[in-house]
Amino acid sequence: MSRVPTASSLFRQAVYNCGPTRLVIDFEDPGLHESLHGLLSQYDAPWAALGNAIHVIVETNPLPGLTSGITGSYLALQRLRVDRNDGRLVSIGQLGSRMEFEMNAGQARVLVPACPDRPALLEEVEQQFVLLLARAWVQAGWTPMHAGTLVPPGRTSCVLLCGPSGSGKTTLTAVLLRRGWRTLGDDKVLLRLQAGASCARALARRFHLHPEASRWFPEAGDLTDWPRYSRWTDKRVVQIEKVWPGCLLDEATPAGLVQVEQNPAGPALAIIPLDAMETLSALMRQVVIPADATHAGPLINCVAATAAHLRGARVLVGLHAFASPGFAEKLEQTLRRLVE
Amino acid sequence: MMQPMSDNCRWLLRPDVVCTALNDGAVVLDLRTKFFYSLNTSGWAVAQMFEAGATRSEVLAASLSWGAGSADHAAINTLIDQMIGEQLVEPANNPVAARTEVILTTWTTPMLSKHREPLHRIMVSAFDPGLPLAE
Repeated sequence: MSRVPTASSLFRQAVYNCGPTRLVIDFEDPGLHESLHGLLSQYDAPWAALGNAIHVIVETNPLPGLTSGITGSYLALQRLRVDRNDGRLVSIGQLGSRMEFEMNAGQARVLVPACPDRPALLEEVEQQFVLLLARAWVQAGWTPMHAGTLVPPGRTSCVLLCGPSGSGKTTLTAVLLRRGWRTLGDDKVLLRLQAGASCARALARRFHLHPEASRWFPEAGDLTDWPRYSRWTDKRVVQIEKVWPGCLLDEATPAGLVQVEQNPAGPALAIIPLDAMETLSALMRQVVIPADATHAGPLINCVAATAAHLRGARVLVGLHAFASPGFAEKLEQTLRRLVE
Repeated sequence: MMQPMSDNCRWLLRPDVVCTALNDGAVVLDLRTKFFYSLNTSGWAVAQMFEAGATRSEVLAASLSWGAGSADHAAINTLIDQMIGEQLVEPANNPVAARTEVILTTWTTPMLSKHREPLHRIMVSAFDPGLPLAE
């Protein structure tokens, strides 16, 4: 992309504040705007000050983007391959979507090809925006971290809940929200070092909960009433504040780490302390680190410095744990010990 | 374990090996293999010598100013062999930049600990470093 992107006056413009980043987006196809609105509006946590702004032009393109030469040397994602050439990120999707992000200029162009599988194409374009935002947040000085958060009543220090998608981070969070704990939101937070201490900030104020969770959280009502998260999962997008009023915080200081694991053959709850190496290892696995030394360095620095101040534990959750008597009390005691 | 090379072979940290200093050492990530390592403070002092390029002899000489004695040479050589064996350093073919002085207040046996599992090479999304599952 050698020219500065410009958009025709026929384009529809939309503005989204996504954490510290403002996206100003010109859509050639209004239908694309409507389809992407759910993703772009999910980062709804309030931020008093913006860190940067990115102007994005979303154009339709009859042909798929050229894939030649894009190897994934910067990032290899499920749907995208990403390269970096000096100040430009170029990302190509399996279905031919293409994103070019001029990082220094704060300008990006997304090319969306024609594709018979429209839902799959939209998911790919969503991933292009996730990439754009993740890089923009890093440029604004933040480290995107895939971790849940729990804050004990009356405290501002939090436990970071680590584990892959589906490990039960959100359900564990909900268990303690019922007991007066608070959270920054779902399992997407931004982290940065401030005056030698680590600070976690909220991004999104909604959970992705499986309808089965209604059994353990009757206050949530019938979870099938909430909109579906994606076509790949039954999970529903649940507004946290509407189910657990007053439990949301904007920021917290990480003090503990829990590596959440499912343990169907084990007891309801098993706790195994983590040493410093294991704690660092768990936290490193929650951050996407590009294979580019210039961009990886600040992320590793933030993660390592944060991990150095955390007490960690593995929390193994049994098959019927949430219905087990005493589960919530024992979980609460364990997490409290990590942050106090 | 690789055999120690000539004392005069100059080694340099590979450009895609990223080090970040902490109060009690450093974390090292090899962006090529995705393995990461923890260094204690003395190990980090040794590793810093390779940021600008250093020979084994130069590291051993510098270690005297950090409080190490000749009895520590075996441990230092082991660490250097480990860094060579893990390919965190490579032979320096060209002249390298001037080295800044590495300062260490308390000497302990230098340690490089390799974390068991590497980071994933292919990830779900730019915000989810998990391993993609079949759809």
